[in-house]
Amino acid sequence: MSVDDPVKRSGFAADHPAAGGAMQPGFEAFPPVERWDDWTERDAHGREHRYSLVPTTCFNCESACGLLAYVDKETGQTRKFEGNPLHPGSRGRNCAKGPATRNQVEDPERILHPLRRTGERGAGAWQRCTWDEALDDLAGRIRSALKRGEPNKVMCHMGRPGEDGFTERVLGAWGVDGHNSHTNVCSSGGRAGYAFWMGYDRPSPDFANAEVILLISAHLESGHYFNPHAQRIVEAKRRGAKLIVIDPRLSNTAAQADHWLPAWPGSEPALLLATARHLLVEDRFDREFVRRWVNWEASLQELAPGAEVTFERFVHELRVLYDRYTLEYAEAETGIPAAQVLAVAEAVANAGTALAAHNWRASAAGVLGGWLTSRCLFFLNVLTGSVGTPGGTGPNTWHKWVPRPPYLPPRPEQWNELTWPREYPLAFFEMSFLLPHFLLEGRGSLDVYFTRVYNPVWTNPDGMTWVEALRREDLVGRHAALTPVWNETAWYADYVLPVGLGSERHDLHSYETHAGSWIGFRQPVNRVAAERAGHPTADTRETNPGEVWEENEFWIELSWRIDPDGSLGIRRFFEAPDRPGEKMTVDDYYGWIFEHSVPGLPEAAAREGLTPLAYMRRYGAFEIEKAVYLRHDDPVDMAGEGLVVDAAAGLVYGPPPVGPGLNVAHVPLLPPDGAGRARLGVLVDGEGRRGFPTPSGKLEFFSSTLRDWGWPELAVPTYLPNQVSRARMDAPDAFALVPTFRLPVLVHTRTGNAKWLNEIAHSNPVWINPEDAERIGVRDGDLVRVETETGYLVNHAWVTEGIRPGVVAMSHHMGRWRLAEDAGTDRWSSARVDLRETEPGRWTMRRLEGVAPFRSKDPDSSRIWWRDAGVHQNLIFPVHPDPISGQHAWHQRVLVRPAQKGDREGDISVDTRASRRIYREWLALARPASQERGLRRPEWLLRPLRPTPAAYRLDPGPAGPAPDARVE
Amino acid sequence: MANHAWVIDQTSCIGCHACTTACKSENDVPLGVNRTWVKYVERGTFPATRRDIAVLRCNHCEEPPCVEICPTTAMFKRPDGIVDFDTGRCIGCKACLQACPYDAIYIDPHEHVAEKCNFCSHRVDQGLLPACVVVCPTESLLFGDLEDPRSRVAQVVASRPTTVRRPEQATRPNAFYLGATATALDPLAPVHADAYMWSERRRGGAKDHSAAIAALEAEAPPVRGGARVAYDAFHPEPWGWKVALYLWTKNIGAGVWALAFLAPALGLVALSRELRLAAAFASLAFIGLTTLLLVWDLKRPERFWTILIRPQRRSWLALGSFVLVGYSGLLGLWFLGTWFGADETLLLVLGAPTVVLAALASLYTAFLLAQCEARDLWQNPAVFFVLLAHMTVLGAAGLLVAAAATGGLDTIAGFARAALVGGGVLGVAALLSGEAGAGRTTANARAAGHLLVRGPFRTHFWLGGVLLAGLVPVAVAALAPAAPAALLAAGLLAAAGALWYEFGFVAAGQAVPIS
Repeated sequence: MSVDDPVKRSGFAADHPAAGGAMQPGFEAFPPVERWDDWTERDAHGREHRYSLVPTTCFNCESACGLLAYVDKETGQTRKFEGNPLHPGSRGRNCAKGPATRNQVEDPERILHPLRRTGERGAGAWQRCTWDEALDDLAGRIRSALKRGEPNKVMCHMGRPGEDGFTERVLGAWGVDGHNSHTNVCSSGGRAGYAFWMGYDRPSPDFANAEVILLISAHLESGHYFNPHAQRIVEAKRRGAKLIVIDPRLSNTAAQADHWLPAWPGSEPALLLATARHLLVEDRFDREFVRRWVNWEASLQELAPGAEVTFERFVHELRVLYDRYTLEYAEAETGIPAAQVLAVAEAVANAGTALAAHNWRASAAGVLGGWLTSRCLFFLNVLTGSVGTPGGTGPNTWHKWVPRPPYLPPRPEQWNELTWPREYPLAFFEMSFLLPHFLLEGRGSLDVYFTRVYNPVWTNPDGMTWVEALRREDLVGRHAALTPVWNETAWYADYVLPVGLGSERHDLHSYETHAGSWIGFRQPVNRVAAERAGHPTADTRETNPGEVWEENEFWIELSWRIDPDGSLGIRRFFEAPDRPGEKMTVDDYYGWIFEHSVPGLPEAAAREGLTPLAYMRRYGAFEIEKAVYLRHDDPVDMAGEGLVVDAAAGLVYGPPPVGPGLNVAHVPLLPPDGAGRARLGVLVDGEGRRGFPTPSGKLEFFSSTLRDWGWPELAVPTYLPNQVSRARMDAPDAFALVPTFRLPVLVHTRTGNAKWLNEIAHSNPVWINPEDAERIGVRDGDLVRVETETGYLVNHAWVTEGIRPGVVAMSHHMGRWRLAEDAGTDRWSSARVDLRETEPGRWTMRRLEGVAPFRSKDPDSSRIWWRDAGVHQNLIFPVHPDPISGQHAWHQRVLVRPAQKGDREGDISVDTRASRRIYREWLALARPASQERGLRRPEWLLRPLRPTPAAYRLDPGPAGPAPDARVE
Repeated sequence: MANHAWVIDQTSCIGCHACTTACKSENDVPLGVNRTWVKYVERGTFPATRRDIAVLRCNHCEEPPCVEICPTTAMFKRPDGIVDFDTGRCIGCKACLQACPYDAIYIDPHEHVAEKCNFCSHRVDQGLLPACVVVCPTESLLFGDLEDPRSRVAQVVASRPTTVRRPEQATRPNAFYLGATATALDPLAPVHADAYMWSERRRGGAKDHSAAIAALEAEAPPVRGGARVAYDAFHPEPWGWKVALYLWTKNIGAGVWALAFLAPALGLVALSRELRLAAAFASLAFIGLTTLLLVWDLKRPERFWTILIRPQRRSWLALGSFVLVGYSGLLGLWFLGTWFGADETLLLVLGAPTVVLAALASLYTAFLLAQCEARDLWQNPAVFFVLLAHMTVLGAAGLLVAAAATGGLDTIAGFARAALVGGGVLGVAALLSGEAGAGRTTANARAAGHLLVRGPFRTHFWLGGVLLAGLVPVAVAALAPAAPAALLAAGLLAAAGALWYEFGFVAAGQAVPIS
């Protein structure tokens, strides 16, 4: 590679050869970029191929690592996917799922053409249809709903998006508050804990520069953002950083840790608060940071009303408040010996301002009040002053760039109560997993429901209730599944519309993988290769397999058909920016963005004589900023024109900016002052600083939002008992089930069609400690029944020292099923089952046949050697909506017993009537938005597709449906 | 000259399996087989539990046993240190799978030839790093030239403590591990349970026996927290019943005629022309059967002839083939000569080299098995004597059958009795001394010995090898010295015992995990 090669110019700290490091002189990791257009390489069989090397982005997990597709010029096949060395997040490297993209593209089970249901919904009869037929039908129904003034009869339910806002803006353009997400089965708990502190709802740890890394996660094997984060954690470890992992199960991450703390699930806040207490009592916290950046004055007034407002008094009150969180208390709650808690507290105390900590799921997604885990974890960042520092933990938005698109649609005018019910005014975000309950109890219905690369029947808790709702055509008029492959939910669709994999679609995204920001461009690689070869393409279907489409073009086309003449005011958002009245192409869209909204990109492109779009097509990623730290401390120009200081609130206001900025990443809404001035910053020691997007502008130890919205007792970081507390394990066979852990090689249901990954992992036994196993009379490999309040499953036991006694765990990803011989879910990963409703609300599933070899054009399909498909567990989980974050609390109190006579592995039994009852029990925990306040949600809190202020107003009326509608 | 090597850094490896899938993609590796895989071992008692990780693959040995055993030069070491393979030359004999002490080689289910990690030699030749090195998120796989002081590999090997897998095999591996634990690298340290933490454990390989080995070797009942494999890849037993049967038919083919020739040649007893012809015919038939079994067991049987035209001269599989061909040829001539009444002196002169080849036909297998570096049971010097004993016993049994068929049972009885006694005594002595000696060699040999003598294969050893093929003929010879029919029966029982033993011997040798 030449010295001028961008790989080397990018100056990565790592010495990895994929990033240009010299491992062995004379050898390179990648072909030089200047030869990507025409690269000749011999394959393992000695055959020479001429390739077009096209960068794109992995579409498996949300890390969005760069890929480099080797498109064979002769056959048009992508022979392999390597990493993209120019990607600032993944830096040329991948996890097992990157190379396995090839399996997904070549999967002989793929759906290549749109399908339309012919029989009853869910009966499994399909016929091929055209895209036009599907588009016209869906567009007609949506248009009709919009014209009737019922925009919220349209809903698009997104799996992990893998893109930054395209679909959300489509819905905005339609005027529909119909964005639904997977967030509340995933990260609401994590988000809420961070957001109540700093407004921003995600952490961005600077692992590479940390002294101490504290994970309530498993970032060396999974999670956002597995590969990019793992690289940087290991770099830090090589430098001597200490790794602390809190996890009741020995994850691969815990196995690499200096301290593995197998705390009882949900007890993490006790451990974290004991650490906080240690820092406070030993006076080893960053006083100056806390004094400057925490809303201590307001907090003190709440903790000790009338007390003298001094920082010392605040510190005193903190010590009093957390006095009960002794090391011994932590030991009693968590099961971690006090000495080990102390060692960890000391490590944290010694981290200086380089404590990189992360919690996204784990108990934050596991228990009632789980959001307190991330809230208490960030407390340690606050106390150590490691907020936004080198080696510390910053907010994600500093490290994320969502470039402004050509058009920003207006905000929806109608609030959608099916996704944002008034019972959950603080939820992060849509109460997605309650949708079937809402539909079944008569809160509303849908005319058109899209599931977009999303599989709620399998992925969400209480899947049988999903089936009960989805099969009702009166509740869901049309269900269109946009998916690359069959899944359990698509089975209950009216249309199955094949959309592209990571190498077959356009998307743009940016994630906080480190303390810098970048954009990554996902591209249909065959289309790009064809263009390079002089065959420009106007429609990605022309170069994709079969009739597989990409979503961008699908949404543009659908929008045009909804509003063909422009009379609904929708079409204008889908017209070419420079050719009014003409349909926007993906080149128009991304070309505009790259030209206008990415600082430095036009210049970088010009230096190479390329348009910004051509530059991104060539390199696939662009680094915008490096070493972004301490943004909160940026000074506000106090001499600026029109600047006004609100001394009482400690806030600085000024003239509102003209139009949106170039980076339109979601940030909390900072309310203007009475005169309509925008909030520019916060006063710190009398100086204007940018601060944090919270009501106070500071980090909020005491959250007035929580107080004002009905939760005064939880307004400061604290610890609560929950549904799997140790105290609730009151029987010898009662356990806390951790059902959420993930494996390094799979991701949810997206990897079911990757043979190399399923070959590695295809079982999800019940992890149980030998001590427990002996007590309940189970040996390794024995079948056990795991029973929740709504049903049971039968699976085999993995008796292991790698889990805390009293806790059992099953990994996620597995238990895929299909109802037909050769359709429904990929045969690489699914068992054929008999699913039946024996009486209303009573469902049973029995495995008829495990994974088995099958004949296809891929000879490997006849070489499948594994039979296990794992046992699905989400079906037996009733919904557990956390009343504040809205997170489904995944952990379950279960009874684990030896299997009974007649039980077979894979048996599942569910009672959806019981799940309705538990839904109502948890619903009763909620504290709805109050009529007096007159708002549905605090306006400052983050919310996707934020509606107009008028829509935030709470109309008088009962919460939920009329009482008689609840009776089913 | 360059000498390429791996450094595998287990202090930073996160066990993510990216190397596994990148390799499958780069090299089109089918399902069911792996050029590189990741092994997890769990050990310790909660909460002091550990999960050790090891990335396992070809070691590109300085002394690669796979190259030495390969009969057709399909496995070869390049001047730059890469142990590579040529799929066009491989006949699929699986000998390299028996030679590699690291389970690194597999038979490709598509091409039916032996393949393994070759450092992505096609990439190396183009100046590109191996695919697994490029994909590895944590820079835990280092590739480079040990002879180049600028390479990271050379620097790490020179400056940091590294270990290799199974150093006792004296292969001088060029895969150096940083921070790998003994539990992760020693195939006998952990036990394989019924399943792994997220996958099934395939049956039909050595790992099926790991629990039995542990139980046989344990001095006390297992305690909690013992090392257990949490994830691993599958490796089948390369050789099955055809190879066991081949050992038996070959000993018959070698022994019957050899005894029929030696008896008159040494002046012990004169044999009828019919008996000599029958013995020669039986030997020819059994050697033919042996060859058939050998070819049948090849994964690419149509390439059998390439052993003869492109032999690898150090391979006892190639040398053995020449022995079998030479023996069959000379024996055929001897048979024709006898048939056509050729001069006895001429037949004697012809028979002398033939009988040497007959002995070699039986005994070369000891040298072949000695080249099977992965199977320490088979390295035992006793193997040579067991072969000799079984050739003798089976030869005598065959001769008795031939004599019964040709009506000369009485004439041959004395000679056959002596052969049965000699072979039986030698067999029992070799088996027992071999068992006694096994404990003093490697852990692998000890484990295999335990399996064979006290474990699941013990009936093969005791009933087949010791009793039927050893003590029964000796006892019958002693108790019924003048009963040819009893001798015949004893011979048949001994033959059955020898066959039963071979099944156990072949299986037990492959029943000890090596990865």
